[in-house]
Amino acid sequence: MIIKLLTSQYPGMRIWLSQRLTAVVMAGYLALLIIVLLIVRPSGYDAWRTFAGSLLFGITTFITFIFLSFHAWIGVRDVLRDYVFNQTLRTYLQIVVDLLLMAYIAWLSFILWGL
Amino acid sequence: MQKKRIVSRHKNLNLFTIKLSVNALVSILHRVAGVALFLLLPLTLFTLQQSLSSEASYQALGQLFGHWMVKLFLIACSWAFFHHSYAGVRHLLQDAHWMTTLQKTRFTGWIVLALVVCSVLLFAWSILL
Repeated sequence: MIIKLLTSQYPGMRIWLSQRLTAVVMAGYLALLIIVLLIVRPSGYDAWRTFAGSLLFGITTFITFIFLSFHAWIGVRDVLRDYVFNQTLRTYLQIVVDLLLMAYIAWLSFILWGL
Repeated sequence: MQKKRIVSRHKNLNLFTIKLSVNALVSILHRVAGVALFLLLPLTLFTLQQSLSSEASYQALGQLFGHWMVKLFLIACSWAFFHHSYAGVRHLLQDAHWMTTLQKTRFTGWIVLALVVCSVLLFAWSILL
């Protein structure tokens, strides 16, 4: 039954589950980040830059941010569907949101690796 | 064929006369906080960028965060973060069928609100002192 619900016949179910899974990933990342920050305690610019420049921080942060973007995309999509009744306006707003999220992902990769 | 029936329903659209139950309150605040967090994304990325790009921008950021108005803004942001996180965890637990009767959801709703208040106060205390 659960497997059937996850096929393309039920796209809403997939979206629903995606929102939960991305939330769990973000919670896990956050818990891990807080623990590591409490252990390492980077103080000052050099320590912070070394910490944020590490491969592990970069990869986990970037992956989590992609999950976050997906989570935000679903959330904003639901909000737009609930409050914006004009179909044309909603479509344009959704495009703006999509472009923004993609730009944020590009921006983050620039921050992390294109310094 | 079904005939179209015109039904006249009593409507009350004055939001200020509707008293929300704790579940409804936690739910709508979860949505408000979520939208706020989405709108804060560029500021978050900008802050991360400034903190990493150079020693000078790092120091400038530190000075900016020392301003009381920025601190107040950060406290407001922390509310959005804490509320969205805690209410989100509550939703996840409910999806796993944990505490789902009306009485229990009311209880966990109050727990979420209390935890948010405590967390925001703790955050405010830690950055103001």
